[in-house]
Amino acid sequence: MLPNPQVRWRALPDDALAWRRWGGEVVVFNEQTGSTHLLGELAGEVLLRLVAAEGGASAAAIAAELSDNPGDADEDGWTEAVAKVLSDFARLGLAQADKS
Amino acid sequence: MIVADLSDRELEHQLAGPGLLLRTGPVVSRIQSRLPAIVRGIALHYAEYPTANDESFADFRVRVGRPRNFRRWLRPQAQFFVDGNLPFAPLPLDQAFPMLEWGLNWCVSAHCHQYLIFHAAVVEKTGRALILPAPPGSGKSTLCAGLVNRGWRLLSDEMTLIDIASCSVVPLPRPVSLKNASIDVVRAFAPTAAIGPAVHDTTKGSVAHMRAPTDSVRRAMETARPGWIVLPRYQGGTDARLTALSKARGLMQMADNAFNYSAHGGRGFEILSQFVDQCRCYEFAYGDLDEAAVVFDELAATT
Repeated sequence: MLPNPQVRWRALPDDALAWRRWGGEVVVFNEQTGSTHLLGELAGEVLLRLVAAEGGASAAAIAAELSDNPGDADEDGWTEAVAKVLSDFARLGLAQADKS
Repeated sequence: MIVADLSDRELEHQLAGPGLLLRTGPVVSRIQSRLPAIVRGIALHYAEYPTANDESFADFRVRVGRPRNFRRWLRPQAQFFVDGNLPFAPLPLDQAFPMLEWGLNWCVSAHCHQYLIFHAAVVEKTGRALILPAPPGSGKSTLCAGLVNRGWRLLSDEMTLIDIASCSVVPLPRPVSLKNASIDVVRAFAPTAAIGPAVHDTTKGSVAHMRAPTDSVRRAMETARPGWIVLPRYQGGTDARLTALSKARGLMQMADNAFNYSAHGGRGFEILSQFVDQCRCYEFAYGDLDEAAVVFDELAATT
């Protein structure tokens, strides 16, 4: 089941993540697990926006930024795709949903 | 002074007594053994290597000997000691020289954390390193042996050491380990290469070592700049073919073949990223060493 698109997410703190972008691909190193992950274009965009968002961001907010039609991000399937990416990030320990 | 300056008797005496201080790139090992296979292996494979005097510091003190138990009469075995400890189970006696080689590799990969260390062969041309990261069985050592017999300098057939301060590749030239069918492939490709006797029924199958070229040994302190990361794959009957690979995927391949990269944390990632930034990355399929050598000479000449 995908997370609620309105829930706010936060990436790991800056000192726990190192990343490098080459073209559309992003490679991220998780200092807490010692693991390196290759992210495709969408996942890379989501991660970098999450890292840049002070105070975190919701799937809906990130989807609106990424969609060509911000008002119709849900309809275009962006919100669901971003929520799926965030769910994968949670599994990899790269981000977590805000519980507050 | 190099090992070849010692007479057979002197070499045997040093190995049996205080130990032979052998410099391989940045590493000095004090090697002790009374086993004839070790004496012969060192005489063949390390003749051109520098030795140090008895007072010199050794990074590792290693010994290959026979266990003192009833097995020495039934099924003779060899044991590898490092600084008095036994990191591995004993192996059949005829595997003593491969065991020394595997043990020396282990000493570096388990202790030399001043480098980022990757399970990858590495050769050099025009000052740039060609790194071949790959799992066992991919044809990495075969390709490495082929290239060093066609003018590339051997930096290592087993471990790529990246200096953390300079992001350059530090040579660790030692004998090239050939396995199974690649032994005859390299013998046919380079009939003048010095290849020791094959040892059979090891955990890796049949193993034979090829002596490192003299020029590679003499230039063992000469580092190389990042050049190319190439993932080799031997496939019988395939035409040699280089296919571009993204830098992100090149980095992942290096990370997948790392010994100690995650132990360096974020700093390790930054160094590796800088290194990959300076490399071109490819996949390479080949079925013939002559074709492969041509492809890599063109690569060195054009990029």
